[in-house]
Amino acid sequence: MQTHSAPPTGRDALAAVAAVDLVKVYGAGDTAVRALDGVTVGFERARFTAIMGPSGSGKSTLMHCLAGLDTATSGQVLLGGSDLTKQSDKVLTKVRRERIGFVFQSFNLLPQLTAERNITLPLDLGGRKPDAELLDRLVTTLGLGGRLGHLPSELSGGQQQRVALARALVSRPEVLFADEPTGNLDSRSGAEVLGLLRTSARELGQTVVMVTHDAGAAAYADRVVLLADGQLAGEIHQPSIASVTDALQSLAAAR
Amino acid sequence: MNTVLRTQLAGVSRRPARMLLTGLAVLVASFVVYATVLAQQITERSVLDGLSGTPAAVDLVVREGTITAKDLAAVTAVPGVSRTSALAQIGVQYGGQYLNVTADPGSGPLSLVTVTSGRYPSAADEIAVTPRTVQLLGLNVGSTAAVDPGSETGKPGKKVTLRVVGVVAPPQDFGYDTYAPSATVFALSGQPYIQQIDIDLDAGADGDQARTRIDQIFAPVKADERPHVATGADVRLEEARSSADQIDQVFAVVAMFVAIAVAAAGLIAASTFRIVFAQRMRQLALLRAVGAGRGAMFRALATEGALTGLVTGTVGVLAALAAGQLVPLALRGLGWKVLSPGVPVLPALGTVLLAVVMTVLSVLAPAVSASRVAPLEALRAAAGTGARTGIGALRWVAGLLPLAAALLLAGYVYTNLPGPDEQNYDAQTMLLAVVASGALAFVALIALGPVLVRPVLAVFGWPLRRLGPVGRLAIGGVGGSARRAAAVSVVVALGVTLVAGVLVGGASIRVLGDRELAASAPADFELTGGQGSTLPAGFLDRAKAAKELTRVTPYRRIEAKIPDFDGVPVTDLDMAALPRLVDLDFRTGSLADLGPGKVVVAGWISEMAGLGVGDTVQVDNKGKKVTLTVAAVLGDDGPLHSGLLVTPADLTALGAGTAYSGLLADAATDGDTGRTEGLRAMRAVGGGQSDYTVDVLADQRDQVASSLTALLGIALGLIGLTVLIAVVGVGATTALSVVERVRESGLLRAIGMSRGGLRAMLTAESALYGVIGAVLGLLLGVPYAWLALQAIGVNAPLAVPVWQLAAAFLILVGLTALAGVLPARRAARVSPVTALGTE
Ligand SMILES: Nc1ncnc2c1ncn2[C@@H]1O[C@H](COP(=O)(O)OP(=O)(O)O)[C@@H](O)[C@H]1O
Ligand SMILES: [Mg+2]
Repeated sequence: MQTHSAPPTGRDALAAVAAVDLVKVYGAGDTAVRALDGVTVGFERARFTAIMGPSGSGKSTLMHCLAGLDTATSGQVLLGGSDLTKQSDKVLTKVRRERIGFVFQSFNLLPQLTAERNITLPLDLGGRKPDAELLDRLVTTLGLGGRLGHLPSELSGGQQQRVALARALVSRPEVLFADEPTGNLDSRSGAEVLGLLRTSARELGQTVVMVTHDAGAAAYADRVVLLADGQLAGEIHQPSIASVTDALQSLAAAR
Repeated sequence: MNTVLRTQLAGVSRRPARMLLTGLAVLVASFVVYATVLAQQITERSVLDGLSGTPAAVDLVVREGTITAKDLAAVTAVPGVSRTSALAQIGVQYGGQYLNVTADPGSGPLSLVTVTSGRYPSAADEIAVTPRTVQLLGLNVGSTAAVDPGSETGKPGKKVTLRVVGVVAPPQDFGYDTYAPSATVFALSGQPYIQQIDIDLDAGADGDQARTRIDQIFAPVKADERPHVATGADVRLEEARSSADQIDQVFAVVAMFVAIAVAAAGLIAASTFRIVFAQRMRQLALLRAVGAGRGAMFRALATEGALTGLVTGTVGVLAALAAGQLVPLALRGLGWKVLSPGVPVLPALGTVLLAVVMTVLSVLAPAVSASRVAPLEALRAAAGTGARTGIGALRWVAGLLPLAAALLLAGYVYTNLPGPDEQNYDAQTMLLAVVASGALAFVALIALGPVLVRPVLAVFGWPLRRLGPVGRLAIGGVGGSARRAAAVSVVVALGVTLVAGVLVGGASIRVLGDRELAASAPADFELTGGQGSTLPAGFLDRAKAAKELTRVTPYRRIEAKIPDFDGVPVTDLDMAALPRLVDLDFRTGSLADLGPGKVVVAGWISEMAGLGVGDTVQVDNKGKKVTLTVAAVLGDDGPLHSGLLVTPADLTALGAGTAYSGLLADAATDGDTGRTEGLRAMRAVGGGQSDYTVDVLADQRDQVASSLTALLGIALGLIGLTVLIAVVGVGATTALSVVERVRESGLLRAIGMSRGGLRAMLTAESALYGVIGAVLGLLLGVPYAWLALQAIGVNAPLAVPVWQLAAAFLILVGLTALAGVLPARRAARVSPVTALGTE
């Protein structure tokens, strides 16, 4: 197991997105929860990084802040070198639409739109036309051919998640975030989705950041970042199921 | 407390908005239902009050017999009688003019007049006059009038000097009216003739007892002279009936609106619940999945529903009660004659009961669905509800059957439409058939709505589609959840159908009214000498010389015979001289077709005598015969109720003398003063001789116009309630769908929709509900209005007030969009993360 004692700074040229001394406090006074307690971490370009940690350790919060979905209490989020924490909702909206892709645990497709319309939705919102070639490639890669005209309710969970993945990738985002993307899937569909995430990082050069609590899922990643109690608790390069499980166990033991 | 109920209540406390919105629908529904009941009372009372001369405060009426001043005193003294008012009047001569002195208390609930300047007379030699009397006779406040009340022998009597102390607004102003307390009238007449005594009883007094006592007072009078005692309510209804024989139809239409309001309320409540269904289904399926028993589930839901219904129903009824008392008050403040409703207790209880039943049924409905299928199946079904767009076979049947029935009924009405002046035509049944057909069409619309949403959107959504992704998303959102859209739109459609129906009906009846008025009141004034008599020479010149008059048009009129018919009025009125005659309705031909040897025939003559254009008819006036060719046929009545219109030459050939039968004239200037001046000039033409009477046809025209406006106002007011419920329904539905779709909003925000974009999208969605509803409503409303008009058998044309309809369309779409604004703002404020975290 390798751990970095000095994590890469946010200004690292290789980092597609980075958090610098990020703090997020929910609530106030006695009931205040420090979900993120000074996290500094970078995510390299064209790499597949997994964020791991026990339940309630702040994984989702970190991802939401990185994706501009939520505002941090203090610290910085650097996306391609610009700080997201200082931006207005208008700018963040544009960032989400054009520079970030998001895949949720519960698919979150619009039930009234067909698979195709769901995929092109972020582009529609920006008034852009989808790149036909990219769309074609995504559909083929994700195995969605022949399903484009279906409504989400007519698709299996794995297919729905692949549609969500296509939707996240269609705008050629700088970073693709995925929050427990396999949490609602059976193991085979889950493996498919994880394989696709890895492929998009390795072959398409897509930066992927994924939250998971499943060691098997984390093993697909190039690197694992560990969180505990809202703080960085180490990282693993080229993880295997065994190394990840070990790390998690020692984290649990430390508490 | 059982677990299911606890879960439900926990759900309520966690998401109070959802509960509130469900309850809001019931609240508004009960508000509208009860408000309509109150509106019915307000309308009936006000219409009665407007059409009957007897004030609403009158509890008992003594009439139809010999009543003396002594009787009046005795009646006034009966215990329980609060006050009385005698209806009595006497005609007096004032410098060669006729003057009417009418008894009136001058103030209080029994008075028919209101003082507008000066004061009401109290001393024996004081009178108050009406505004036209001031103008025509120069009787200003402060002036005196030496009048001759006449004597029993018919000879001039002793002159009495009366002093004018005030001006009063009377129910009707002929220009020779004065008012005074009954004592003054009795003193003038010597032997007073009392037509009627209006009696106001003390609050809480026993009406029957008072009635018996009054009967006792008149017991000694000879049977054929003995007055009757009737209740004020009966008398008012009788008076209203005699002044407008359609009063019962008006009340029937009002009752129909109550029924429609109840139906609309049910509809809107159902459509709001439909959205809660999906969420409920999910929750109930979950509860079932973890082992909740059916019995416990039903009991819990029924309790929750009953509580919600009771609370919201009661609040709705109380709110309606408050509005029902306040609105008439406000309208009275604006100078409208509107009476307050009572507090009908039974309808109030019924409304609350309705609310409870409605709520219980609608919360139990999903429970029934949920308990019929396996828990997991229910879960799956719940997830897909919002997106289902098609309808099942059963629903097709449920839609197509009523549609077929509606078409059949409409077809039946259409093929049995009455011809003009058809005899034995049963308008009531046909109207009922039209209403039934319309109701069936709505049932069909409710069932088939989801399949209609997309085509309507495809056609009418294009402007929105061009507005970019937000517009397209809104269309997608509405089209994608066609069931929800259909449920809301149907309510809007109901409102628009009614508004369109009333607007079209109103416009058509107005055209009809103009036509009939063109025939019956072609000019402002008419001067005649009574049946068969003619005007002396010189009248025409005098009238033409009067600068207060214009378009002075004389006419001759005789009654002649045509084959099979006697006493047909024939006139040579110069139709081109009076501009109002342009409104006359011609069935065939036109005014220009009239010429020598030709005749224009009134519609009713054409029908009875079987005369059409080109036919010849022999007209016979006491042996003088002329054969004329029918040049044109009028829609209905001829001007001045004449049956045949001929040229002056032909009328002369028929033996009519050179003297005119009457004079028509218009006032030279518009407005009230112009009209009074014209009336004065017209009376001057007659030289004050009582043989020649002047009719103010213009007053008649105004009266018809104002009662038409009042009826339209009432109808639109009642419909306003339906529109209100439609708008609130759209608001509640949009709010609910926003609450239900927080996740969806969160997702849209997460993938890059701006706050403004989300707001615009949700607002556009609710505007689209309005568009769909308004389109469907217009498509139904205009044809049904036409059919109903034809079915009434009034022979009205179809007048489509395009601008009014367009305005109604835009206003409704605007209102529905507005209804979506608040929920949309709310949705846009929620942060994407919070929204995505919501179940
Ligand atoms: N909206 C919120 N309000 C209050 N506390 C929250 C909220 N969201 C998360 N938390 C708290 O912040 C901490 C981190 O949560 P989260 O990032 O969801 O953890 P993870 O995704 O690692 O399970 C937890 O203690 C959680 O209870
Ligand atoms: Mg999480």
